Amino acid sequence: MKYAIKMTGPVQQVLRALLADPAAPRYGLEVSKLTGLETGTLYPVMARLEAVGWVDSSWEDPELGVREGRPRRRYYQLTRDGAEQARAALAEISRIRDKRRATLSAAQPGVLGAPL
Amino acid sequence: MTGVLSGRAQPGPLQADLLAGLRGILQAIRPDADLRLIRRAYDVAAAWHDGQTRFSGDPYITHPLAVAAILAGLGASDQALCAALLHDTTALTAYTFAELNREFGTEITGLVAGIAALDQITHQGSSTTAQAIAAATAADPRVLAIKIADRLHNMRTVEFLPPDKQLQKAAQARDVFVPAARLLRLGTVESELAALASTTLSRNRYARTASGHLLTAMAALLPPATQARWREEWLGELHTLPARRSRARFAAHTLLGVPRLAVTLRRPAPGHRQARP
Repeated sequence: MKYAIKMTGPVQQVLRALLADPAAPRYGLEVSKLTGLETGTLYPVMARLEAVGWVDSSWEDPELGVREGRPRRRYYQLTRDGAEQARAALAEISRIRDKRRATLSAAQPGVLGAPL
Repeated sequence: MTGVLSGRAQPGPLQADLLAGLRGILQAIRPDADLRLIRRAYDVAAAWHDGQTRFSGDPYITHPLAVAAILAGLGASDQALCAALLHDTTALTAYTFAELNREFGTEITGLVAGIAALDQITHQGSSTTAQAIAAATAADPRVLAIKIADRLHNMRTVEFLPPDKQLQKAAQARDVFVPAARLLRLGTVESELAALASTTLSRNRYARTASGHLLTAMAALLPPATQARWREEWLGELHTLPARRSRARFAAHTLLGVPRLAVTLRRPAPGHRQARP
């Protein structure tokens, strides 16, 4: 399978977290908390997702921050196209995983059967 | 040549837009403006600033043009607009006051000299309101108005400066230029300047902490065009973290990702490719 972005574990984690509520803009530390990914992993993933157009980022209205006494945040959001492709990619990956699991347990029922 | 503020020395696209904007404002607010004189001031300033750039990478002339546009919106006179266009020539180029005087006369030269004098005061770090008011009353109100418009545009583009410069400009905007704008009853300028100063100060609150220094240094390793965005994003995230230790941890972890981030940002954008199933 060929996707616009290499579907590494962290990429999948980020996409799952964002797809939980695709319309919600999230700032970096928020995604870090949602996924449990450290920021050193997270920011490069976000930059890659942005580079391929799956995610958009923009500054929030500074007025909001002024009221809360903090600077404006950079918010990330799935693009419509990105959400679609991410859903398709994640579905395909779990299909493949299921199939592989089924094949393995069918081939070696006694050894690797259930717990995989 | 059609129209006086159009055509001639083929300004770059950004300058052309700004020139058109200035012309539009003048047509709406001061239809009697001497466009020929203003265009001449632009041409002279553009020629002298040729090759100079701002921190943002834009041609330097875009700054005096933007300052003139702000002043035009406030109904400034032809002389004030010319002085705005020429305000940095004598300080930043080889253009002399004698040449300025010969080409534009004593009134415009006096305004530009007044701005230079006011720069001296503000550069000495006089940043108390009392000093500002004193300087304001001493100066020609037009000089002060040009200086306020100058700072307003500097604050609109402040994100391109290093954090310590941002803090310095913002503190001075808050302490000197906001009260000065109030003094001149420039209500819209006052509120915009106050908002810009406040966001800049809060954005950079952690810039001088150890974590802030580390994040700023790391951002400098990214491609130049992307540095300001990531620096601001990271310094902003520090506000979300309550404890010094969590900020240090954030900075350290973010540091680990910088090489990979730099590679991603350096790679040419692949465009929005379709996933091939």
